Amino acid sequence: MNGLVHGAVYGGVIASVLLTTIAFGIWFERKFAGRMQSRLGPTIVGPFGLLQSVADVVKLLQKEDIVPRDADRPLFDLAPVLAALFSLGVAAVVPFSPTIIASDLDVGVLYILAVGGLMVIPTFMAGWASNNKFALIGGMRAIAQSVSYGVPLVLAVLVPVILSGTLSVSGIVTYQANHHWFLTWPVFIGVPAFAIYYMAMLAESNRIPFDIPEAESELVAGVTTEYTGAKFTLFYMAEYVHTLVGSAVGAALFLGGWDGPFAPGLHWMVLKTLVLFTVVYWVRWSLLRLRSDQLMVLCWKWLTPIGVLLVLGAAAWVQFVPGGFQ
Amino acid sequence: MEMSEAHAVLASARRARVDPHLSIKTYDPEADMMLLHFGPQHPSTHGVFRMDLHLDGEIVVKATPYVGYLHRAVEKLCEKLSYVMLTPIVDKNDYVAPMTNEQALNMAFEKLLGVEVPRRARWLRTILAELQRVASHLLWLGTFTLDLGGALGGGSTLFLHCFRERELILDLFEDLTGARFHYNTHTIGGNRHDLPAGFAAKVKQVVAVIEARLPEYAALSLDNGIFKARTTGVGVLDGDLALELGITGPVLRASGVDHDLRRDAPYHAYDELPVNVVVGHGGDCRARAEVRFAEMRESLRLVRDAIDGVPEGPINGYKPIRQPTMAKSTGGQVYVGIETPRGELGTFVIGGGDTPTSPYRLKIRPPSLHSLSALPYILPGQTVSDAVAILGSLDPIMGEVDR
Amino acid sequence: MNESDGKRRLPRYDEAALAYEHPLYKTLLAAPGLSVSVAPLDLLLSWGTMNSLWVFPMATSCCGIELMSAAASRVDLDRMGTIVRATPRQADVMVVAGTITVKMAPRVKLLWDQMPEPKWCIAMGSCAISGDFYRELYSVVPGIDTFLPVDVYIPGCPPNPEALMHGLLRLQEKVKLARAGQLVAKEYPPNRLDITKPSIARLSDPARDPALSAAQEKSAGEATATDESDERGGGNASAVEPFAAETTSTDVEALLRELGVTEFPKDGAPIVPVEQHVTLARRLRAMNYRIFVHVVATHFPEKTGAKAAPERFEVAYALRSVGSGSKIASWRLSLATGQAAPTLVGVFAGADWQEREQFDLVGVRFDGHPDLRRIMMPGNWEGHPLRKDYPADKACTPWR
Repeated sequence: MNGLVHGAVYGGVIASVLLTTIAFGIWFERKFAGRMQSRLGPTIVGPFGLLQSVADVVKLLQKEDIVPRDADRPLFDLAPVLAALFSLGVAAVVPFSPTIIASDLDVGVLYILAVGGLMVIPTFMAGWASNNKFALIGGMRAIAQSVSYGVPLVLAVLVPVILSGTLSVSGIVTYQANHHWFLTWPVFIGVPAFAIYYMAMLAESNRIPFDIPEAESELVAGVTTEYTGAKFTLFYMAEYVHTLVGSAVGAALFLGGWDGPFAPGLHWMVLKTLVLFTVVYWVRWSLLRLRSDQLMVLCWKWLTPIGVLLVLGAAAWVQFVPGGFQ
Repeated sequence: MEMSEAHAVLASARRARVDPHLSIKTYDPEADMMLLHFGPQHPSTHGVFRMDLHLDGEIVVKATPYVGYLHRAVEKLCEKLSYVMLTPIVDKNDYVAPMTNEQALNMAFEKLLGVEVPRRARWLRTILAELQRVASHLLWLGTFTLDLGGALGGGSTLFLHCFRERELILDLFEDLTGARFHYNTHTIGGNRHDLPAGFAAKVKQVVAVIEARLPEYAALSLDNGIFKARTTGVGVLDGDLALELGITGPVLRASGVDHDLRRDAPYHAYDELPVNVVVGHGGDCRARAEVRFAEMRESLRLVRDAIDGVPEGPINGYKPIRQPTMAKSTGGQVYVGIETPRGELGTFVIGGGDTPTSPYRLKIRPPSLHSLSALPYILPGQTVSDAVAILGSLDPIMGEVDR
Repeated sequence: MNESDGKRRLPRYDEAALAYEHPLYKTLLAAPGLSVSVAPLDLLLSWGTMNSLWVFPMATSCCGIELMSAAASRVDLDRMGTIVRATPRQADVMVVAGTITVKMAPRVKLLWDQMPEPKWCIAMGSCAISGDFYRELYSVVPGIDTFLPVDVYIPGCPPNPEALMHGLLRLQEKVKLARAGQLVAKEYPPNRLDITKPSIARLSDPARDPALSAAQEKSAGEATATDESDERGGGNASAVEPFAAETTSTDVEALLRELGVTEFPKDGAPIVPVEQHVTLARRLRAMNYRIFVHVVATHFPEKTGAKAAPERFEVAYALRSVGSGSKIASWRLSLATGQAAPTLVGVFAGADWQEREQFDLVGVRFDGHPDLRRIMMPGNWEGHPLRKDYPADKACTPWR
């Protein structure tokens, strides 16, 4: 019972903080993109345009809710809710400090992979239920992309699991705090594993250069083509939450989570998460989009074999290097 | 790309050429194909263009283009108005390069009416045409990367940078003509606006700025790995097919055909200002991008060379024609074609008729119409993503396609 | 509008007729504290709506480029929170930027219907407002307010990006006032005469000397009167050849003679017998005339009187040679009513769309064309617009 209350309180707090962060994260992204494009970004609404996302949400919530005539109504309504649920659900096992964690599961990594992998279901549901050809193509692309990139994602995440010998996320972070960050040592395994994790994370959260399910220049707005108002808001936020939580997981698994000198753990975790989050947008506003077949080539011909090698390397490290495993 | 490799690509394209009028039923009766209506309102159709794509998975099996959503009856309007009133009308045809529209029209009228253009005006027209070419190619580059990278991604970054430089050229035009967009600066027999004071210095400054920034754009596009992957070998159009379809301009030159009216049939001052014609090879989207990049550099060089050498003299052979009744034709049929940023823009005029002050029949030959007619030949076999890239690389402007 | 005293007046609403009261209105108003708590909420909602106007770009032509410029660095609509959404489902404002034709109008209406409420419409540019100089033409919609409820008009051809931003600010104000329950007068399309009049009301100024007005009118009239002395007449085209490269070369002439052409008129290309037409194109293609330039059909209606002549069509063709010293080879066909021209699609694939266009607009048939459909006009259009007996402002329901 105590665990339930703890989970409810911390889960609620973490979810609210995440959603607030998203609101300002979107503002930050627009300013950031503006600077990259020699313009200003939002300046008028609120000081420095800070309230722009708030205005957007207030407006979107007031919009008419349109369901296309031949849409599959239950699926169409359920998809955005599930998207928000799954993307926030991952955050439950992410340790923001030694104590701030909604639920410290023993199989936390497995949980992250499972719930994160579920994200594709609402995406495809939306594509299917909209009864729109652009949305359907987007949903198909999402399935193909998510199933493919799940493989290198699992392989990359296995590396810290093997090196630390635990499936608990906070266990992995504790190991890193006691020994070394996996990004820094063994560097020839950690850095490529982190790179693969990051790319797979971009693909799973549909960010450029892997945003083919949305691909607004080809598919108008991809799976969200038919969504209006509040449902679109849920999708929109789910995407950002997915990216943010993905960044947090990356920070925890590879960058030592809350570990860091001078400041309390929470500060370090938030800083690392936000840096990874910013890099997502740096990449997003610089690169063009890959084609779906090129994505598959990248995944199956490069990332997956390298991932397998890294897992073998990590296992060999643990097995043969003295002091490799505690 | 090695030459032999390029030849292999061309040969396969020739083999793969499909009959655009083939009924889709003859492809595969059992196939469960999706018919995707792409346009007329779509973020990547560059205006109001529609193509019906028959998709097998994501592969395009057959493409049927539809135009005419912007048919504004310009040719009918031209038969109603007098010669001197037509310049601002044709401005709106190819709205990305209004200067060259005006030139093509007025050169046809000059030939019909037998009016000589003074040398200064011809130099002026050359400079304006080349600046307009740079502005047009900049807009093309921006929208092309927008097609490849999306409005919410790297594509829009390059797009906005291209627009920033395009604004510089528009500012020059505004200095000269007072208008930002539709200039109405060419008349029969010359130009309406002479160069303002200090124009040459401004032009040189703008040219220097754009030349310095072109490598940045190349880094974001031509030299970028994703751009290479998205464009190399995509939408291969071989030279023979391009010629047969009447395609001209950068698209034709990217297919390896050495043909440029500025050099081959010189008009304006191109006989005094030689142009180095840029010829690409491969005929794919990448070749088209490379040709346009090189043309931008060439145009900037041309402007820099020309701006100091503008000869003194009148800018209009006659008094500027203000009154609608002043230009009259007793008959004759002329055709004048010039090289615009998109290819050969021609004007065919039949003079005379019941109202000698207005053309009896005026036909504009739009280069984009021919570029678009290549789509049914080169789209089949490519994916939906490629279809967007190919359409963007052809640089169609629906205003001149539909008129 | 009341024009009696020369001033334009905003329309008056009959507020009594508009007053509608929900049955619960009085009860809720009496509930303690309710109105006090609802008022800030309403302010918040209205603030959100007006500060997040997402644009659906119904961009068809030139104004669309300026719409793009407005989103670009110099003006940057993102400053006021306006971004462009590609799908109508997520947009608030439809900016109709460019000419809307009768073929496009049903699609615009469909897209408008797909947008969720509350939604607004901006008519950007004179084509969207009134049709501009295409207004009286058969294929153009004379203003989108004939089928869409326009909220803000932005005049210009095209309006500058700054003007678009101003229009959006005006829309914000309108949204704000409307949400506050104030009746906002409908914006009227700018009267075309009002636009051309000077913006300063000096002509209606009572202190103005009427003689001055008369003098100005007189001088304005003189400027448009014909000045015969300045007239520049009759160039005979063939007499002037400013472009040496474009003359018909001698080998083409020899080919034409071989194919039985004897007359080489001075005012145009030689007329070729219809049966030799395809052969000529093939032979020219073999002679490096490989670029298909154009096919132009012209309608010459029946003439009566002294110069009596039956109705006929002339179809002019041109080819261009490739490479340096590029030349034009051109010829004409003369067709009687109902006579078809042999198609050139078998020789030049580029003739495909051009022949379709001439069939659509002039009504000349091309024998053997694989796909002779209308290309510019909608499929159910009647008549061929570029014929001389076709009125330019042909009635087109429901617009005129």
